Amino acid sequence: MFTIVEKEELASSVHRMRVKAPLVAAKAQPGQFIILIIDEKGERVPFTLSDWNKEDGSVEFVFIEVGKTTRALAKLQKGDSLAHLIGPLGRPSHVDHFGHVVCVVSGYGIAGMVPTIEALKEKGNKITTILQVPNQENLFGEEKLREISDELILAAGGDGGFTNPTALKPLRQLVKRHPRECIDRVIAMASFCLMKLCCEITRPKEIPTYVHLAPLMVDGTGMCGACRCVVEGKNRFACVHGPEFNGHLVQGWDVLMARRCTYADEILGQQSFQCSSCSQW
Amino acid sequence: MAEPEKPKKKPKKKLDLNRVKMPKQEPAIRRRNFNEVALGYTHDMALKEANRCIQCKKRPCQSGCPVNIDIPDFIEAIKEDNLPKALEVLKRKTSLPGICGRVCPQETQCELKCTLNQKGAPIAIGRLERYVADWERAQGEVQLPEIAPSTGKNVAVVGSGPAGLTVASELAKLGHKVDLFEALHIAGGVLVYGIPEFRLPKDIVRGEVDYVQKLGVELHLDTVIGINMTLDELLNGKYDAVFLGTGAGLPRFLGVPGENLNMIYSANEFLTRTNLMKAYLYPEYATPLKMGRRVAVIGGGNVAMDAARCAVRLGAEEVHVIYRRSREEMPARAEEVENAEEEEIQFHFLTTPIGFLADGRNNVCAMELLKMQLGEPDESGRRRPVPIEGSEYVMDIDTVVVSLGTSPNPLIPNTTPDLETTRWGTVVADEKGKTSKARVWAGGDIVTGGATVISAMGAGKIAAQAMHEYLTS
Repeated sequence: MFTIVEKEELASSVHRMRVKAPLVAAKAQPGQFIILIIDEKGERVPFTLSDWNKEDGSVEFVFIEVGKTTRALAKLQKGDSLAHLIGPLGRPSHVDHFGHVVCVVSGYGIAGMVPTIEALKEKGNKITTILQVPNQENLFGEEKLREISDELILAAGGDGGFTNPTALKPLRQLVKRHPRECIDRVIAMASFCLMKLCCEITRPKEIPTYVHLAPLMVDGTGMCGACRCVVEGKNRFACVHGPEFNGHLVQGWDVLMARRCTYADEILGQQSFQCSSCSQW
Repeated sequence: MAEPEKPKKKPKKKLDLNRVKMPKQEPAIRRRNFNEVALGYTHDMALKEANRCIQCKKRPCQSGCPVNIDIPDFIEAIKEDNLPKALEVLKRKTSLPGICGRVCPQETQCELKCTLNQKGAPIAIGRLERYVADWERAQGEVQLPEIAPSTGKNVAVVGSGPAGLTVASELAKLGHKVDLFEALHIAGGVLVYGIPEFRLPKDIVRGEVDYVQKLGVELHLDTVIGINMTLDELLNGKYDAVFLGTGAGLPRFLGVPGENLNMIYSANEFLTRTNLMKAYLYPEYATPLKMGRRVAVIGGGNVAMDAARCAVRLGAEEVHVIYRRSREEMPARAEEVENAEEEEIQFHFLTTPIGFLADGRNNVCAMELLKMQLGEPDESGRRRPVPIEGSEYVMDIDTVVVSLGTSPNPLIPNTTPDLETTRWGTVVADEKGKTSKARVWAGGDIVTGGATVISAMGAGKIAAQAMHEYLTS
């Protein structure tokens, strides 16, 4: 059993959870994820790690209430426990001294990208982060991202009077100024559609662009193939070869998005392909 | 009951060639449930079948068993109606009789060698083994064998499938301290994620895992060796020796256009959702499995049969098995193919998919097939399928399960540079399971590629013996 040591609501339907899992914390690296199961009848659900502490053996992740399992997870409190938790899964994000790195985050990536940004910062990179949320009520993680980035650009829809309803406009502006104001790398941990569009924006100028793919998964250790995607003509599994891939080499985004929404109708209570109401947006 | 005590040697009566049939659920009923298909012998049936055994001196059946069970002796004990003794004889060589009795391909092993098979009616050894194992379960009380005094040695067994369970129980009985590591949240490996409930009830697997734990083996679930601890960390830590039994879990795909469309599953995903995660009990269990009405299963092995038969039970209107060779070359057990046919699964032999078509929303809606004919034999000795030009046709389907076999998971080899592997990703091991790395043994599908439960158990037994020799030398 894995005991919940902290639980906090960050925004409407957004929660931060910290769980005791010493074996996971001992090996965790930026960009990796865990899979948890609430109880013996539960499903296996992946979450990107947003923090960990090797000393007290705890790991942290942020989740958004979208379906059955995340709603059940939201009901759990400090002191409760999860039946199973495995990880850290996937390859760590590639971290090096690149120069100027633009990070695009939305949904689970708002928290999931934090360890990667911190590691990039430690390597002396200049970080510009574009944070996209559907509206101001769903805004979370802004403070932390502002603290670890050199510049934070907020993009929010709704009635807040924001100049940028999505991350696309500020990204286009930054790319337009490249190479005068050079961008050495773009990293996106966001919804599939946003990541796809980011890749199209950076492609003409050949700015290296990396995306964190989070397709459906079952086992998370390379066994089921549910998370397969085509990268550079090869079938890759996001759980063991990824989740970080060169976005310009990812093929078949539309198929990936369709697969991501296989269970949308039943589980998420939302119709597939209604991106406007997508939890990841 | 057993009044004639001694006349073991000479068969008094004429050979009885009437194999006692296994009672089964009727196809029309079992198509709608996940309960076990084969219902098991009754006491009378078991006695009748055991009495057919002529107790021949040569004991060819025993030599056909990968774990060398003393088959004539356990059958003799059934004849004498001494089930505790029958069980004791079985457990000398296998810790998992309830599993072997159900999923071993006896027709190519012990029953193939049975003297009565010359007359086409071998003793139903598997069914008798299952009968004894089920009898023990019904008693509630499990017999524990004698456990040797502690040797003070520590062993890590990686993977809790048939190979790992065998090695763990063998070494525990010999007095070694065994830690058994499992990446998934339930122990049993392919016995729980792959083989469906209707062929191998999960209660039985749980019973056998409990037994192994009662021998003193400590089970660590949710622990991925290669991630949480590398092989070198195990060896540099408290372990004197390590056994790798991580199986072959990496699914292969066809590599044809459209294969990643929505509603195309690997057999591993389809079976894992169904069996391990119990999608057939959704929503009581939280994992769903989306499936359409017309399901195509690609492949001709036991896994393909399992997937097809799961699809029937999950409510598919039509299930088609697409296999590129002919019926004779099918690797699946004849019994499972028969079961599948009884369940109205349709077979398309000498046919291979060359592409999948989408419905406009990236869901698969049809597949393009090509007819084949058999040419010259290939390396496997089976005749190679050759395409017939111009024979393409399209078949409407809305769900596909790709079951083309699996390769070993590369997690451990990738994090262990000095562990020698083949170009197929299998770990190189000698006939005793010893790998290229000091103090590391391996066995089962990780060495052979996808094979059977019993061959993994056989490899586990041999490796356990070799490890014991090393640990006590």
